[in-house]
Amino acid sequence: MLDFIEPALFAILTIAIVAAGAGVVLANRITTSALLMAFTFLNIAGMFVLLGAETIAMFQVLIYVGAITVLILYGVMFTPQSPRAYGLFFQTQKYWAALFVVPIAIFVALVAFSFRDSATLGAKGGDLLPLATSVFRDFAFPFEVASVLLLAAMVGAIVLVKRDEE
Amino acid sequence: MPVGPFGIDPVIWAPLRLVIAVLLVVGLVFNGALAQIYLERKIQAIIQDRLGPLHTGPWGLLQTFADAIKLLGKEDIRARLTDKWFFLAAPSIVFSPMLASYVVIPFAPGIVGADLNVGLLYMTTLGSMTVLGIVIAGWASNNKYSLMGGLRSAGQLISYEVPQILSLVTVVLVVGTLSMVGIAESQPGWQLNVLVLPLAFVTYFIAGLAETNRAPFDLPEAESELVAGFLTEYSGMRWAIFFLAEYGEVTVVSSIVTTLWFGAWHGPFVEVFPLIGVLWFTLKTYFFVLVFMWIRATLPRLRIDQLMSLCWKVLIPLTLTNLVVTATLLLVFPSTLVPVAIANWILLAAFVLLLPYVQRRRLVALRERLRTAA
Repeated sequence: MLDFIEPALFAILTIAIVAAGAGVVLANRITTSALLMAFTFLNIAGMFVLLGAETIAMFQVLIYVGAITVLILYGVMFTPQSPRAYGLFFQTQKYWAALFVVPIAIFVALVAFSFRDSATLGAKGGDLLPLATSVFRDFAFPFEVASVLLLAAMVGAIVLVKRDEE
Repeated sequence: MPVGPFGIDPVIWAPLRLVIAVLLVVGLVFNGALAQIYLERKIQAIIQDRLGPLHTGPWGLLQTFADAIKLLGKEDIRARLTDKWFFLAAPSIVFSPMLASYVVIPFAPGIVGADLNVGLLYMTTLGSMTVLGIVIAGWASNNKYSLMGGLRSAGQLISYEVPQILSLVTVVLVVGTLSMVGIAESQPGWQLNVLVLPLAFVTYFIAGLAETNRAPFDLPEAESELVAGFLTEYSGMRWAIFFLAEYGEVTVVSSIVTTLWFGAWHGPFVEVFPLIGVLWFTLKTYFFVLVFMWIRATLPRLRIDQLMSLCWKVLIPLTLTNLVVTATLLLVFPSTLVPVAIANWILLAAFVLLLPYVQRRRLVALRERLRTAA
């Protein structure tokens, strides 16, 4: 009886993601773009919830909305606001963008359609345990490599922005 | 045909339950804010040797109602050079995540909006979303002081999220679940988590003070430095929504503390009559709300560099040490929590005793440097 809810939610989320994503590129002001990006991330989190991956949805919001968007806004606020139309600025790169986006889009579509007939998702009951076992047991080494890489990047960033003390 | 609770069709019951829950939570937040403003005025007055609100109603009880009606009746002012949509949207962006986090608060056995299996993560996630609204409020106001307030808030909240989450993870390690109901059920009787993990409680409480922008961490709205920070350009009901959100956040942080460390609804007679758990939960939560007010009335505001160095040089190393020690001891002694408790109490004692010593040494070094410079 309630089967229509999931496709309906999926449709709403898809429309919101695509529309907000387009808005990020087309908006004239960078703050609008940043906020629309946060909105896109929120909707993607909703998508993860629909897929039964609540933990990933939570981390999506925690990191992308709570931290990365805020850092982008933080950067924007220190930049002087000019009346220049950012939308036009982005649109000068549209041929290059098309060149890169089209092959990626085809690849993603192919991958997505290859999953169509595969088995349905795992049992309900959350993705916390599978996520934890895969990150901390099965793929512990790649995970550590990634974290060391991130740490190195962070140290590098701190060294770059550190003022010389006399 | 399936029949849900109270003989209502489940198709109707599901949205009906949502509506009832949202109305209950909105009522809870609004009335909680009214009560907390009254309590805050009275308690600050008692601490400062004054009487506080006295004339409106018995013991001044109606003062906050009068203020609320005044705020509702105020004209909705928006300065011409503000950024219209951002300015209008910011209060809602701050308010709605706070409202949404009431979903997973376990008030009593069976009285919870939804028993998410990632409930605690959900709450921290929503807590981290408020900063977006504050930053936007500061930017959209088109005012230097507001912008400073928003920037301070961003720096402060992102920094204090780290010790906050590390403290929560320590508890999750011990309890073994992220569900708020599961955490509440894991502490029957006197087996409160605060006896096992007192240091995590203290660090979380400090980080929670910063996360809710309460004194001594109220730098984003520091009235003596920044007029009113990100609130400067707001008035009337929009301003009130920011305050509702702040008091709601205080309640949320207090209820996280109650659930994680003080056994949520557990208390006498809960097994006989589960509804009394709401009373115990409310009493425990409001105790911590009162501690928030007590701290506000007694501690001076920190400077921004002190705020940052407290977070990055004290709290984060401390919580990381705590996490590593707890995890190691849990692996070494899987059957008992006593070693974890001992280690935690020792760390807490070290924290409390060493902090004044380190501060004094830093002061001496600072004076020395000033003397050589002069």
